[in-house]
Amino acid sequence: MIGLRRRAFLLACGLAALPLSASANAEDLKIALIAPISGPMARQGDLMRKGAELAIEDINAAGGIKAMGGAKLSLTVEDAGDKVETAKNAAQRLVANRAGVVAGTGSWSSSLTLAVTEVTERAELPWLTLSYADQITDRGFKYVVQTVPIASALALNSMPTVLDMAQASAGKRPAKVAIISDSTAASQAFVKPLREGGFEKLGVAIVADEVFTPPLTDATAMVQKLRATRPDFLLFYSTGFPDAKLVLTKMNEFGLGKGKLPAVTVGVQLASPEMLKAVGPELLEGLIVIAPNWPSKAQEAALPGLTKRSGEPWLGQDTISTYGDIWLVKDALERAGSADPAKVMAALRATDRKDGPADYYLGDKLAFDDKGRRLGGAVGLVQWQGGEPYLIWPKDDATRAPLWPKP
Amino acid sequence: MSFFPSGLEAILQAVATGLLVGSTYGLMCVALGLIFGIMRLINFAQGDFLMLGMYFALAILSGLGLGAAIGSLPALILAALAAVPVFFAVGWLMHAAVLGRIGRDRPGMTEGEMHQTQLITTLGISLVLSNGGLMLFGSTPVSLNTPLASQALVLEAFKGDVMVFLNEARILAAVAALAASLGLYALLHRTDIGKKLRAAADNPLAATYMGIDVARCHRFTFGLGFGLTALAGAMVATYYPFQPYVGLDFVIVMYAGVVLGGLGSIMGSFWGGLVIGLVQQLSTLVLPMQLQGTTVFVVFLLIMLIRPQGLFGRSVERA
Repeated sequence: MIGLRRRAFLLACGLAALPLSASANAEDLKIALIAPISGPMARQGDLMRKGAELAIEDINAAGGIKAMGGAKLSLTVEDAGDKVETAKNAAQRLVANRAGVVAGTGSWSSSLTLAVTEVTERAELPWLTLSYADQITDRGFKYVVQTVPIASALALNSMPTVLDMAQASAGKRPAKVAIISDSTAASQAFVKPLREGGFEKLGVAIVADEVFTPPLTDATAMVQKLRATRPDFLLFYSTGFPDAKLVLTKMNEFGLGKGKLPAVTVGVQLASPEMLKAVGPELLEGLIVIAPNWPSKAQEAALPGLTKRSGEPWLGQDTISTYGDIWLVKDALERAGSADPAKVMAALRATDRKDGPADYYLGDKLAFDDKGRRLGGAVGLVQWQGGEPYLIWPKDDATRAPLWPKP
Repeated sequence: MSFFPSGLEAILQAVATGLLVGSTYGLMCVALGLIFGIMRLINFAQGDFLMLGMYFALAILSGLGLGAAIGSLPALILAALAAVPVFFAVGWLMHAAVLGRIGRDRPGMTEGEMHQTQLITTLGISLVLSNGGLMLFGSTPVSLNTPLASQALVLEAFKGDVMVFLNEARILAAVAALAASLGLYALLHRTDIGKKLRAAADNPLAATYMGIDVARCHRFTFGLGFGLTALAGAMVATYYPFQPYVGLDFVIVMYAGVVLGGLGSIMGSFWGGLVIGLVQQLSTLVLPMQLQGTTVFVVFLLIMLIRPQGLFGRSVERA
């Protein structure tokens, strides 16, 4: 009886130690995903997993890796949790059992990705990421590529993009901006260069600049200043959506909502189904979100099918970028013709595509510089229209025309 | 628009918003002040009672679907009216089952020791409620999404050059807060129950000798404090997104309001909350938003320096 229990216990331990994998065969080429599957960022991890699973299904259905005799792909998922330590442990678990793993992607948050890539770099495992902190590719690492524009490029390029979009849709370039931002590091890092000469160089005057400490209890005073100073648009950076809701609600109350005063914000979580549920379609109407990646016209034909299979109301950056990352690994494997990590990484770095995997990222081409940073990328602008967020810029990739009030 | 109407508009807007926000703070402070004033109990679970009131309103409006069935405003009024008796009963039971039993089996326990034990018990209740809320409701913030939150009554002057916006949800919350506070005042000063409560607060021993059941008075007070806090929560939920730890956003304001109004002075707590609301809003006219919280506590310290017994309290007054 005791022996039976011990065997059952050992079997249970063995099962628990197995990584979460999607129908893997021993001869499959494995692609790793390290993402937050538990904790407060679990939703984002789930969205990434859906993207990876869909891509692997599609690649295998299309015949696998042709250059390697039609080898099939399978997915290995490790839970990054919500802390640097848990993410690092996940990466260490992965490299300890890396047999058959040809490359990986993850881990959503930049701080988690920084920890994961410390481990994957030492293990010489090719790694792709949608995280955009500059530091990820600032450390001279050879085995990592960032598939979206880096944070500093996002901050510098996003405002000219907004001004171009406004001019194209309203016929007049905005000349006055109001800034409302919370006091968090991420928010201030984005706003600081714009506040300290960035807007001035663009010919835009800052007419109000309000910084609040979250949580915000009331937004009346800030929105009153918007009404008094009459900016052409609002740059609004709030890391938490309760604060975002308070500001949007107050703007609506003061007659500035629903796009009457165009509001531009940062962070794809503000274009999520959860945001819609918490805030409601009325208040979100017209809100523009700066996004490093978003489903575009290039995927117009495939998107309805992908969305349906994902079970999500729409696909966002987390899903489409991870979907694209797997296709990019497939492309690199085809070109390398081998699962050797050095050859796969060399093929990834040598990527220069205007179609194929490039269709899943914004910009005119998919290529990388010698640091592994994205070349040819573009900043995306996503706008809430009728209760759903659509890509409105870059113009060639947009799925909807921008709504911007005519002067 | 010239500077004068623009400046005047900002001042009037800050005063109007301060009064509306402050009234709701006032009700929260009155509920806390009631429990402290009568029971001498520092209740750490007050923020969590507020959170329960918010989820109660959500359950009425969205869970039962009354918001869609009968409209947001009637459903909110129903939620407000139901919150007081429902949470009064919960508070009554909580006191009967937990707080009222502390020290019962230790006859030699001093009043101070009993208060310390009760204080730690309320901290425990707070942890159970917030973590229970996290398990039950999850960590994602939710809100009532009523149209009242983003609609305003607009007062105009100077041919429309000066406009003051009065948020409809905040008006409803302020009216409910004023009505509940006045009702509490009437209960305390115009009824026999009120007399008993004040007697139990002033001198529990003498009240016992006069035939007043002090334990029952405390149970009633705790239930009423819980009910009023839940009412404030239901009203705040009309315009404020919430999650199980939302109480932390308000608990400091509640304590500051009670001390500002005068510790032990129940109705003074209302004025304390109102002053905090006004200071919060008026400070933004001359100082950056980031200093809003700091300004409240600078004013708080100044008032404490000048009147240590609080704005409306007397050193001997309790209720």
